[in-house]
Amino acid sequence: MADDEMREPKPGQWPLVILAWILVGVPLLWGVYTTLTKAALLFK
Amino acid sequence: MAAFLSRERIVAQPGFNRWLVPPAALAIHLSIGMAYGFSVFWLPLSKAIGITQPVPCPSGPTGLRGFFHLLVQTECDWKISTLGWMFTLFFVFLGSSAAVFGRWVEQGGPRKAGVAAAFCWSGGFLISALGVHLHQIWLMWLGSGIIGGIGLGLGYISPVSTLIKWFPDRRGMATGMAIMGFGGGAMIGSPLADILMKHYATPTSVGVWETFVTMGLIYFVAMMLGAFGYRVPPEGWRPAGLTMPTGERRAMITTGNVYVSEAVKTPQFWFLWWVLCLNVSAGIGVIGMASPMIQEVFGGRLIDLPGVALKDLAESQKAQLATIGAAFAALLSVFNIAGRISWASFSDYIGRKRTYFVFFALGTLLYALVPLAGRLGSVLLFVGLFCVILTMYGGGFATIPAYLADMFGTRFVGAIHGRLLTAWSAAGILGPVLVNYIREFQLDRGVPNAQAYNVTMYVLAGLLVIGFFCNLAVRPVSEHHYMSEEALKQPVRPSAAAVRTP
Repeated sequence: MADDEMREPKPGQWPLVILAWILVGVPLLWGVYTTLTKAALLFK
Repeated sequence: MAAFLSRERIVAQPGFNRWLVPPAALAIHLSIGMAYGFSVFWLPLSKAIGITQPVPCPSGPTGLRGFFHLLVQTECDWKISTLGWMFTLFFVFLGSSAAVFGRWVEQGGPRKAGVAAAFCWSGGFLISALGVHLHQIWLMWLGSGIIGGIGLGLGYISPVSTLIKWFPDRRGMATGMAIMGFGGGAMIGSPLADILMKHYATPTSVGVWETFVTMGLIYFVAMMLGAFGYRVPPEGWRPAGLTMPTGERRAMITTGNVYVSEAVKTPQFWFLWWVLCLNVSAGIGVIGMASPMIQEVFGGRLIDLPGVALKDLAESQKAQLATIGAAFAALLSVFNIAGRISWASFSDYIGRKRTYFVFFALGTLLYALVPLAGRLGSVLLFVGLFCVILTMYGGGFATIPAYLADMFGTRFVGAIHGRLLTAWSAAGILGPVLVNYIREFQLDRGVPNAQAYNVTMYVLAGLLVIGFFCNLAVRPVSEHHYMSEEALKQPVRPSAAAVRTP
């Protein structure tokens, strides 16, 4: 159990995790949105 | 400086959150994934001198002299076919650098590899910018094609073994996230390049070299952030509450580690090489022809003119079809990246061998159904078939690192993956060549344009049948290939004698 506790991430790191995911997620979502907008022409 | 980048300096402290590693890997893969989007530069570059219209080249020397003249000429515009060689250079150098430097990446650690990749990829953009400014195609090929291609290989494999070690319980999902980024890079890079080129364009410049400089700097920052975000787990680290698969799936996951030069001697490596090569060949084949295929197969039906063939349409109507073709290609790219994360994650539950079983069995059926969709005139069925096919193309890339880790262990999986990526380079030649030659052969025999792809699809389905049997032949690696306990304790390259004797 104590060993498992050593392996648990520190709670204080979660904001950093969220920030890191926003930094890569926002450009990726923008790219997907732009591509889907282009792809939407297929269904018009 | 080298020590600052070394593997030993980036061992995570207790309490490190492993979910910080995938975004670091994504930052690198989203940057190098722009390789897929380079075609956005071809049209502006084809009129870099003429600005509004391409300046055609006067007839000059031919043969080898003609080639050298092409490399240094400054008086006329480059053809799109000449610029297109960049893709060949990208994928040849990606595969070969991953194979050559894979062991160095494994020994030096992901941060060192990520930094090297950032310098190569971004440096390639800057050299290409100089090439555009001076109108020297050889500088573009050297910069983005060769140096950038080496950066692609280093960047592509840099996070693989680190992610697998951080996520022993979700190997497929972890590598799927990174490799999804490679598929998604062009989705960000292409529209960004378009915006930048419009911003920089002047009456005397198409704005490409300025765009190269800007993007090179953006990618450098993103990749350095990614490289410095990498951490490797301490030796023997396991996540809290780790549960490993049981039963038949457990039997396909080794407990040993195979050294990279030993792995390539095993039949499993070569079966997996063909598995990747055949899956990618078929996928690249359809990606390359998706846009012209939908236009030629359905012609006027796409714009409410059923029964009118593409060649009989007016120029304005053909332009409408070209737009629809581009939209179709865009839709496929979304399914390509969706397949990377979803199939790779799914493989954590059903196992890697079963995942490829689905790719090859379902893939064969779907490829063979495409001609039927054309005969039925069903655009919806046609589009649906291709969308599913593309998820399996992406899924094939994203699941292979976890398959290798299951077969050969996690210790040298990055280097082994690097060697396996030569299959990608081979597929990059095999797929398009096969598709183009079969189509040309069909057209020469008088087959109508709308049906010229049918045989191609059956041949690609045939490739998947071969892949199916290669995957079926994959068995666990024999224990005599495993590294010895002494060799595993060594931080650097073990000798060949370190392999266990049977």
